[in-house]
Amino acid sequence: MATFAERMVPVLVLWLAVCLTGTWAVDRGNFKTCDQSSFCKRQRALKPGESPYRALLETMELTNTRLTLQLINDNNKVRLLLELYRLQGNITRVKINELKPLKPRYEVPDVLIREPPTEPLSLLSQDENGVVLSLGSESQRVIISARPFRLDIMEGSDVLMSLNSRGLLTFEHLRMRKDTFSYKVTSTVASVWDNIKRVFSSQADPEADKKEETDPANQAETTKEEEEKVEDGMWEEMFKSHSDSKPNGPSAISLDFSLPGVEHVYGIPEHADTLRLKTTENGDPYRLYNLDVFQYELYNPMALYGAVPVMLAHNTQRTTGIFWLNAAETWVDISSNTAGKTVFGKMLDYVQGSSETPQTDVRWISESGIIDVFLMLGPTPKDVFSQYASLTGTQSFPPLASLGYHQCRWNYNDQEDVQSVDAGFDEHDIPYDFIWLDIEHTDGKRYFTWDPHKFATPKEMLQGLKDKKRKLVAIVDPHIKIDSNYKIHNEIRSRGFYVKNKDGGDYEGWCWPGSAGYPDFFRADMRAWWASMFAYDKYEGSMENMYTWNDMNEPSVFNGPEVTMHKDAVHGAWENRDVHNLYGLYVQMATADGLTQRSGGVERPFVLSRAFFAGSQRYGAVWTGDNAAEWDHLKISIPMCLSLGLVGMSFCGADIGGFFKTPSTELLVRWYQTGAYQPFFRAHAHLDTPRREPWLFGPENTALIREAIRQRYALLPYWYQQFYHAHRTGDPIMRPLWVEYPQDPATFAVDDEYLIGRDLLVHPVTEEGARGLTAYLPGKDEVWFDVHTFQKHNGAQNLYIPVTMSSIPVFQRGGSIIPRKVRVRRSSECMEHDPYTLYVALNLQRTAEGELYIDDGHTFNYERKEFIHRRLSFAKNILSSVNLAPDAQFTTRSWIERVVILGASKPSKVTLKTADGQDSQLEFDFDASMSVLTLRKPGMNAGADWTVMLQ
Amino acid sequence: MRFQVLVAAVFWSGFVDSRKVRGISSSYKRFYKERKSFLCIDGSKIIPFEQVNDDYCDCEDGSDEPGTSACPRGRFYCTNLGFRPHYIPSSRVNDGICDCCDASDEYNSPAHCQNTCWNLGQKERAYVEGQMRTLDEGLRLKQQLIEEGVLLWREKQAQLRELQQVAEDLQIKLEEHRRRKHEAERLKEQTLKALEAGDSGLRHQNRTVTSIFQLLDSDKDGSITVDEVKAKVVLVHDEERLLSEDEALGLLGGGHQIDLTKFRRTLWDVLTRGDSVKIKDTPGSDDPHLEAADKAAEWEATNLKKVEEAYETVNMEISDLRKKLAIDYGTDWEFLFLNSQCYKLQVYEYIYTLCPFNQVTQKNTAGTEVSLGTWGMWAGTPKNQYSQMVYENGEPCWQGGSRTTTVTLTCGTETALRSVKEPSKCQYIMDFQTPVACQPVLKQRGVHSEL
Repeated sequence: MATFAERMVPVLVLWLAVCLTGTWAVDRGNFKTCDQSSFCKRQRALKPGESPYRALLETMELTNTRLTLQLINDNNKVRLLLELYRLQGNITRVKINELKPLKPRYEVPDVLIREPPTEPLSLLSQDENGVVLSLGSESQRVIISARPFRLDIMEGSDVLMSLNSRGLLTFEHLRMRKDTFSYKVTSTVASVWDNIKRVFSSQADPEADKKEETDPANQAETTKEEEEKVEDGMWEEMFKSHSDSKPNGPSAISLDFSLPGVEHVYGIPEHADTLRLKTTENGDPYRLYNLDVFQYELYNPMALYGAVPVMLAHNTQRTTGIFWLNAAETWVDISSNTAGKTVFGKMLDYVQGSSETPQTDVRWISESGIIDVFLMLGPTPKDVFSQYASLTGTQSFPPLASLGYHQCRWNYNDQEDVQSVDAGFDEHDIPYDFIWLDIEHTDGKRYFTWDPHKFATPKEMLQGLKDKKRKLVAIVDPHIKIDSNYKIHNEIRSRGFYVKNKDGGDYEGWCWPGSAGYPDFFRADMRAWWASMFAYDKYEGSMENMYTWNDMNEPSVFNGPEVTMHKDAVHGAWENRDVHNLYGLYVQMATADGLTQRSGGVERPFVLSRAFFAGSQRYGAVWTGDNAAEWDHLKISIPMCLSLGLVGMSFCGADIGGFFKTPSTELLVRWYQTGAYQPFFRAHAHLDTPRREPWLFGPENTALIREAIRQRYALLPYWYQQFYHAHRTGDPIMRPLWVEYPQDPATFAVDDEYLIGRDLLVHPVTEEGARGLTAYLPGKDEVWFDVHTFQKHNGAQNLYIPVTMSSIPVFQRGGSIIPRKVRVRRSSECMEHDPYTLYVALNLQRTAEGELYIDDGHTFNYERKEFIHRRLSFAKNILSSVNLAPDAQFTTRSWIERVVILGASKPSKVTLKTADGQDSQLEFDFDASMSVLTLRKPGMNAGADWTVMLQ
Repeated sequence: MRFQVLVAAVFWSGFVDSRKVRGISSSYKRFYKERKSFLCIDGSKIIPFEQVNDDYCDCEDGSDEPGTSACPRGRFYCTNLGFRPHYIPSSRVNDGICDCCDASDEYNSPAHCQNTCWNLGQKERAYVEGQMRTLDEGLRLKQQLIEEGVLLWREKQAQLRELQQVAEDLQIKLEEHRRRKHEAERLKEQTLKALEAGDSGLRHQNRTVTSIFQLLDSDKDGSITVDEVKAKVVLVHDEERLLSEDEALGLLGGGHQIDLTKFRRTLWDVLTRGDSVKIKDTPGSDDPHLEAADKAAEWEATNLKKVEEAYETVNMEISDLRKKLAIDYGTDWEFLFLNSQCYKLQVYEYIYTLCPFNQVTQKNTAGTEVSLGTWGMWAGTPKNQYSQMVYENGEPCWQGGSRTTTVTLTCGTETALRSVKEPSKCQYIMDFQTPVACQPVLKQRGVHSEL
């Protein structure tokens, strides 16, 4: 929900502005362009060329686990320290910091799940021009060139990746301010005057400054230093009416990466853009800076609520990844030597043989911190996923119920409202698991409290939901109302837990409650305290079926620069500038810890967050923020969630129906149909929009929405299994086609369809008034079965599919087995003990494989091996279930009620053999027109060993 | 009747206990007679009878599994002895949640469901009885209100007729006054023209004598008296001083009153010489004839205006009344009494006021009042269009559009605003209770409610 401009006075002004311009879109003027962000402007002004950096090979030290080496900038003689590690799992880590920084530079904590284990590096050769190191056992080498400094990673004779090959490595070293006299820019005139004074002072009395530098360690370097150019914005900068005092001066870092042979790069969410990243030469770079963007625009590189500084590069041969571990404001430039060429041009190159190797060049620029980059060398997409997972962890394993349908709105007004919406679902026989309460449920936007009139007896309400096996989410935002009668505020203030402003007082900003403080989530003791606030006896009115939503955690500060916190706000030893993108992650981390702890560590938490960073996948779900009820917003939900999935964040969804504005009925239905096949399935709506519960649009549309939601519930066993898999491996759940078909270039830019796991292909209808669509069915050896009609289609073709309002084009891959629970009930918990139907789709070899994962659905007991995990396979006319986890223990009441075999031929008899050696004949039904064989009620327990023979 | 139903239910619960026919109503019993095979009710398939309620869905229409959750489109019949029987979707069978009050839906579930049908039935009966009492009382009150409505309607009609009569009378008066005004204006015009003509002609003298005489003759009795002279004639050299009795008498030639002929020889003579006395200056009227005509015209204009205003007022009243009477107050004018009434309700920090057929407002604790709409129309169901009112075009909303209120009318013994909600921004719904919303048809349903 929720954004900057819609409240009180500014609201009206903005609204008027919107009306006047006649468009509903982001006010771009509220957000910086690269030109308005002084470090980005400075860095981007540097053009590729000879790097001033030289590797001092004589300083090289090589131990078993790491190589260190000094770099020197020949222009200013500042030395850097390069560290190079070979990490387990084909990852190379490159760290660059100042050799002797004036004060420590920020290194991001708590994102890596552990200090990554290293592998030995060995020196292959060395001369005065450089060093060659072997990267483990494979034929991979790192070549460090000395003059200029450059780093190439080779495999065989192929260059996989080059660093600083374009000479764009920069490291703005920390320095003393030269113009030490009082210097406050209050106006342009003053600034101009100061510039003049500055020029005079540095020319007239250069010695005066140097005398102040008494540190002998720096003395040697600084005396040799060239005259440092002082540019505007290095020590103070303005944006709109906001001034950023920069006590530490310039501190930006930048590094370029060249990717030979690469034409497709992905990732670096969050942006409202295509899956395949675009080149940025003709506009701004992609920006990573967590911001609350009011009515964001589509198809542009502007920053949004979250930031994951991970980019994937892919071609038919290899997939690699770059993880730039830096939490400061970051910009990413992408250029390509083929980008400007048309398809025809490329063809011409090919025919004439004049084509140079395609190459993508990437450049990362961050405002502060150090260079700490992980080069994930693949070679397959799944290798990259597991490499990234080994660094930052995997998707948390959510409670099964959270994979059901979520009904949200800003706001359900009172308990009676909640009850009547709940009853509406039963009346219209539509399943749902969670109903949500936005900010209005609180007592005056004081989180952890309830409106005393509208939500007078929250436990009664929660018990009512619990009686129907349903749950509730209440919002808890990280801005705390400054009010001496508010316990939470008083405690945070008295413990000194608030973020501080540059002058040392508590930082105050304007948000929903009015004047608010922001707890310093960078402090472990603050997070522990926050987590303790979720205890049942602390959070009054909470119960075990109540979960949490963290919104506005970029953090959103209505009156702050770019609607967020001032960069010179202070978190302990660090400025917000250094840590900004990490705030949201910590909020979600502390909240999830709280939900875990309240049950004594037994129950899995569920926390939705709007802001995120690398590693946020470990704490819950994210959504794409405040979208709008427009067809393009429906379309963009696919690439936005795909991009998040690629960087480990699988639990992603978009507000069904669109947050702002009012969807047409057609759009709403299509959005339900799309959302039913995306990981996080929640409808949400703005306070100012009319009601849109599923039954408000006539019986026909109610039926369409009901059917979409029921399809979701039937597939919950498959979704749950996908989450278990993602939790184990880091593989995305909603995945781009190229992840499964990495050698098929036709899949590389597809972002209007996707796979769920590897077995379901979804091409939702996202066009208004669609009568048909063309889906690409990948894989030349694949067959795909329409899940609704069971019709079989060959792979590697563009298939035209006529559609009606009820169509949701979904295909099951031949060769897969998908479990469903087709007895859809009013909530997922009601379906816990229901029997399974197995959908066995045969491939051209007449085989199929799948899995079945079952546990209690809500506790951490699966970590103690309390689950069932079975492999289902069909080969040689025998379908069998074997235990994948013989050391695991769990019992289920669920049984197999039906087996549907797609692409089958008619057997004469079907025999079931159970673990106790008993044979029995199964009844079956064969539909010759579709080649579908249905085995009637085999009845074996879902956790047992069994085989079914077709004869 | 209740007894009969009870007996039937007990009799047939003997069947219900058997697994095969779990979840069906007596009217469907005939489809489930135990035979070798079972024909799906939609006729699509024949299956062995053992497969009825065997927890596997064979029939497309779900008819083979009335008692289990196996069929997605199935339904389960709760007998609910002692309460109302009803169907639930099959998906609610054995889902751990008690749906049927007789607990029959959770026959194989960990849920511990109690049979609450008798309690519910009792409550229901009490409720129905209460409702019936309310309905009876409501209908009685409604009848009164209808009668009052009819009277009120007649009264209003009479009032309208009266007003129309007044208007007609005023119309006649108006025409008369228009004519008189016209006449006076014509006279004035004539006088003016004559005056203009006289200025350059011989009749000037004559006319002047006459007109001066007329001017002095304040009471228009054809003669000038001493008092009349004193009122209008002054000394040339001392305009402030009034003439004495004797001086006036002297000017009239010694007589106490003179006619025009005498005047011509006495006062007129003195006046025309112009050295001793003159006519007192009266502003704007050089000519007494013209002044008189002018005054007459003004008088008539004022009179006409008064009548016109009266006419307009009456007409406005008529149109107001007509507008009010044009509103649909129900078949028997039963809603008429609501017009000119207002009903208030406080909900959280707001006080809502509904003035039926007029407007809806919301007032916050600070006292700011916001319009939630003015009377729009009846918007009930085609069956009963008087079940809902819509008030529209209230205060504009932040995101465009304006506030609207939908009022649902329900039967009650009192007329009162019962609840106000704002499910979406700027869209208000009110529950308004009144005896006139009571419908006899409701009563019928009450009587036939199955127990």
